[in-house]
Amino acid sequence: MSSRWPRPLVPLVVAVYVGLLAPLVVVIAVSFGPSAAFEFPPRSLTLHWFEAFFESQALVTSFFRVSLVVGLLAAVLATLLGTGAALGLVRFRFFGREALEAFFLAPLVVPEILLGAALYLFYARLAIQASVWTLLGGHLIICTPYVIRTVTAGLVGLDPRLEEAAMSLGATRVQAFFKVTLPLLRSSLLSGAIFAFIISFSDINLALFISGPQSTSLPVHIFSQIQWQGDPTIAAASSLQIVIIGMLILVAQRIFRLRLVI
Amino acid sequence: MGDAQRRRTWLALAGPYALFLLFLLVVPFANVAIYSVHPYSPTKVFLPELTFANYLKIFDLYYLRLFGRTLRLGLITMAVCVVLGYPLAYFLARSRPRVQALCLFLLIMPLMVSAVIRVFGWIVILGRKGLVNQALAVFGLDPVRLLYNETAVVIGLVNVFIPFMVLPIMASIERIPPSLEEAAQNLGANWAQMFWRTILPLSVPGLLSGCLLVYSLSISAFVTPALMGNARERMAGQQVYDEVLVSFNWPSASSLALTLIALTGVLMFCALLATRRASRREAAP
Amino acid sequence: MSGRVELEVRDLTKRYSPLVSVGPISFDVHEGEFFSLLGPSGCGKTTTLRCIAGFEALSGGSIRVGGERLDDKPPHRRDVGLVFQNYALFPHLTVFDNVAFGLRLRRVSKAEIADRVDRVLQLVDLAGMTTRFPAQLSGGQQQRVAIARSLVLEPRILMFDEPLSNLDFKLRLQMREELRNLQRRLGKTSIYVTHDQTEALALSDRIAVLSHGRIEQIGTPDEIYERPASVFVAEFIGSSNMLPVRIVERGSDVTVVVTEGGLRLLCHAAGDAALDGAADIVALVRPERVHVEAPGGAPAPRETRAAARIADVTYLGEDLHLGLELSGGDRLRAAMKNTNAARRVAAGQSIEIVIAAADLRLLRR
Repeated sequence: MSSRWPRPLVPLVVAVYVGLLAPLVVVIAVSFGPSAAFEFPPRSLTLHWFEAFFESQALVTSFFRVSLVVGLLAAVLATLLGTGAALGLVRFRFFGREALEAFFLAPLVVPEILLGAALYLFYARLAIQASVWTLLGGHLIICTPYVIRTVTAGLVGLDPRLEEAAMSLGATRVQAFFKVTLPLLRSSLLSGAIFAFIISFSDINLALFISGPQSTSLPVHIFSQIQWQGDPTIAAASSLQIVIIGMLILVAQRIFRLRLVI
Repeated sequence: MGDAQRRRTWLALAGPYALFLLFLLVVPFANVAIYSVHPYSPTKVFLPELTFANYLKIFDLYYLRLFGRTLRLGLITMAVCVVLGYPLAYFLARSRPRVQALCLFLLIMPLMVSAVIRVFGWIVILGRKGLVNQALAVFGLDPVRLLYNETAVVIGLVNVFIPFMVLPIMASIERIPPSLEEAAQNLGANWAQMFWRTILPLSVPGLLSGCLLVYSLSISAFVTPALMGNARERMAGQQVYDEVLVSFNWPSASSLALTLIALTGVLMFCALLATRRASRREAAP
Repeated sequence: MSGRVELEVRDLTKRYSPLVSVGPISFDVHEGEFFSLLGPSGCGKTTTLRCIAGFEALSGGSIRVGGERLDDKPPHRRDVGLVFQNYALFPHLTVFDNVAFGLRLRRVSKAEIADRVDRVLQLVDLAGMTTRFPAQLSGGQQQRVAIARSLVLEPRILMFDEPLSNLDFKLRLQMREELRNLQRRLGKTSIYVTHDQTEALALSDRIAVLSHGRIEQIGTPDEIYERPASVFVAEFIGSSNMLPVRIVERGSDVTVVVTEGGLRLLCHAAGDAALDGAADIVALVRPERVHVEAPGGAPAPRETRAAARIADVTYLGEDLHLGLELSGGDRLRAAMKNTNAARRVAAGQSIEIVIAAADLRLLRR
C-alpha cells in the first residue's frame, strides 16, 4: 500500500502513543524503583515492592481470592450464557430479533457507574450482603455482551450448510453442533472468554459499589490506596495486572480480529 | 425439528441470559425508578409518598452547574479526542498489516487495563512530586499544580477514551479504497485537498460514531474525575457515587442517575447501532 | 499521429527488494499513439504505469514528457490522466461533481466547468446522468465517468490500468470498440496496461510485451504476432508450435534445419548471427499457418511439405484444431476454419502438411 502521508503525521502519531502509554510505562518503572516517593526514572532496580505485594494479606486476597476467581468464573459463565444467547439470535428467525439483540447488548450502553449504583441499591433493598457472588453477578452483566459479539461474528461467518452436511452423514442436530459448529467457533469462544476475563478483572466502576469488605477486588484496592497515598506496592500490583492483561490481549489478537469486539 | 421443540431449544439457549438481564439489569433500574419518585428520609430509606421533587431538584443551581460542567468537559474531551485521534485513525487504517497489528495492540491494551491504573500513572506524572515537576525542578523552576483541576480531568478522560474515537474512524477510513486517494491526487489534489474532499466526507459515519461514544462515556465517567479532579468541581458520576455511598440520599441519586442515563442512553445506542452494522459486514465472508 | 515523441521512458527501474525489481525499462510513446503494456501478472506493467503517474518512486532512470523531466514532480502535478481498474469514482459525489473534481481544484469558473463537463459527458455518451451517484450506475457507465473525469482536464497523456477486466465479456467487447473510436477521434496519446493479448492487439498502434520486469519486445501488433522476438512473446501472444531444431544449412533467404524427429524444415532466413552455434534453437510456426492437404502434392520452393497423420480433431464450432503426428515422431497442432472442406478431416487420416518458409521462424529458447 503506497502511502504518501503528510510529513507531520508520523511524529504526531508517535506523540499520541507516547501520551497514551506513558502512564503505564511510568507505573511499571516505579514498581521496580527503590524509593517510596514514586521516583521516575528509578535510580536502581529492585523487586522490593513485589515482595511487599505478596506479603500484603489484603492485596494478595484481593488479587487471587477475589479478582482472579471472579474473573475466571465470569469468563466461563459469560461464555456459556453468551454462546447460548448468540445461538438464539443468529440461528433462529423470529419476530423482534433486532429488538432482542439490542436488549442483549444493552449493558454496553448503560454507563457502568450507574449500573453499579443500581445494583447496589437493588442488593440493599433485598438485604443481600456484598460478596464474591454479588460481584460475579454484576460482572456477568457487563461481560456477556462481549462474548455475544464475538460468537455472533463467528457464527455469521460460519456456513450453516456444514451442519447440514454432518446431518446428511447421519449426525443428529446436537451431534452436528458439538462436532462441527463448536470446534469451528473455537476462536470466537476463546477470545470471548478472554475478553470476559479482562473486563471482569479490570472492572472498577461496578466493584466500587458491589464488592464488600471481604470481596474487595484488586482495582478497588488500588483505588482506595491512591486516595490514601499508598506506596509503590500498588504500583507492583498494577504492573502485575498490566502484564497479565497484556499477554491475554496478545493471545486474543492472534486468534481473533480484535477490533470487532470494541 | 418440530415447532414446539424448536421453541424449547431457543428458550434453553437464549433464556438463561435473558432472565439474567431481567433480574440484574431491568429490575434494579426499575427499583431505581421507584426510588426516584419517593422523597428522601434520613431515618427510613424512603417515605411511601410519591413526588417529583427529586427531578425538580435538578433545576437547582447546584445541579445545573453540575450538569453544565459535566456536559462541557465531555464536549472538550470529545473535541480533543477528535483532534488527536483522527490522525491516529488515518495512520492505522493506511499502515502495513504488521505495523497495524502492533499499533492496534498498543492502542487496545491500555483500554483493557483498568482505568484506575492509568489514572495512577497520570498522578505519578502530574503530581506535586511527580515527573513533570521533577523535570521543572531540574531547570530551577517552581512546581506547578497540575492535578485536581479540570485540565487534569480532561487529560485523564482523553487518555482513557481516545481508543473509542480512533477505532470507529479507522474502520470508516479502511473502507475507503486507496485508489480513491490516488485518483484525487491524479486529478490534481495535493494531500490536504485530497483529505478534505475525499477522506473526510467519507469518514463521517465513523467520526460521528466515535464522537457519540466518547461523549457519552465522558459524561458518565467516575474514576478519572474522582481521582484527578476535585470535589468542588465534580462531574455527574462523582455526584451519584456521593449520594449513594456517602450521603445515602438514594432518591436523589436515583433521579440523577436516570437523568444521566437518558442523556447517555440515546447517544450510546445510536453509536452502537452504527458500529454493529459495520462489524457485522466485516465478519461476513 | 505524428512522429513526435510525447513520452520518453529511459532505464526506468523500481527495486522492491534485492530479489524483486522491475526494469531497466525504456520506451518511447509518440504523440497520438495508442501504446499498450502487455504481459502476465507480476511482469511490471502496472508498476511502470504507477511510476509514470507518480505513485511509485523510481529507483533509477528517468521519465520525460515533451522533453521535460516528469519523475521529479509529485503525483498531483503531473499532467497524466489515470483511469483506475476499479474506476475509483468518489461515491459521495454525483457524476457531475466527479467529473468536475479536477476542474474545481484548478479554480476554473463555474460557467466553464458546466460547459466542459457537459461536453465531455456527451463525448462518452453519458449526457443526462449528471445528477446520478456512482452506485446507481452500471459498470460500463462507471467506467465512462472515470474516463470523462480524466479527459475533461485535457491531459497530455491518458493512461488506463486494465480498465476492462471488471466487465463481463460482451460488455468488454463493446467498450473496447468505444475506447478505440474515442481515442482515434481525440488523437489523445494513450498508454494502456492489460494482460489480455486480444485487447492489446485490437486496440494498439504499438505494443510493449513485458515479462519479469523487462521488455521482451516492442512493435506493432503485426510485428509482435508475425515476428515474435523471443519464445516468451511467441507463447504469450496467440498459440504456437515450437520444435527444437538444429541448423543444417544457411542460405541467403532460407535456412534449413532438422528436427529431433528427422524432419527437414525450410525456415525464414535468420539474420541473427547469434543463432550460429547455439544449441537451444526452436522453430516456431503458428497453427493457422500449418496447412493440411491431401497427400501427393508437389513441393514448391521455400516451402516444406511432409507426411503426417491426424491424431485428433477438436471441434470448436468456428474452428477446428488438429493434433498432427509426423513420421519422425514430431507433433504439431494445426488450426483451420470450419469450412465445408475442413469438415471432411477425421482422426486417423494420412495427410500432408504444407508450411511456407516465411511462416517458420527460428528463435533461441
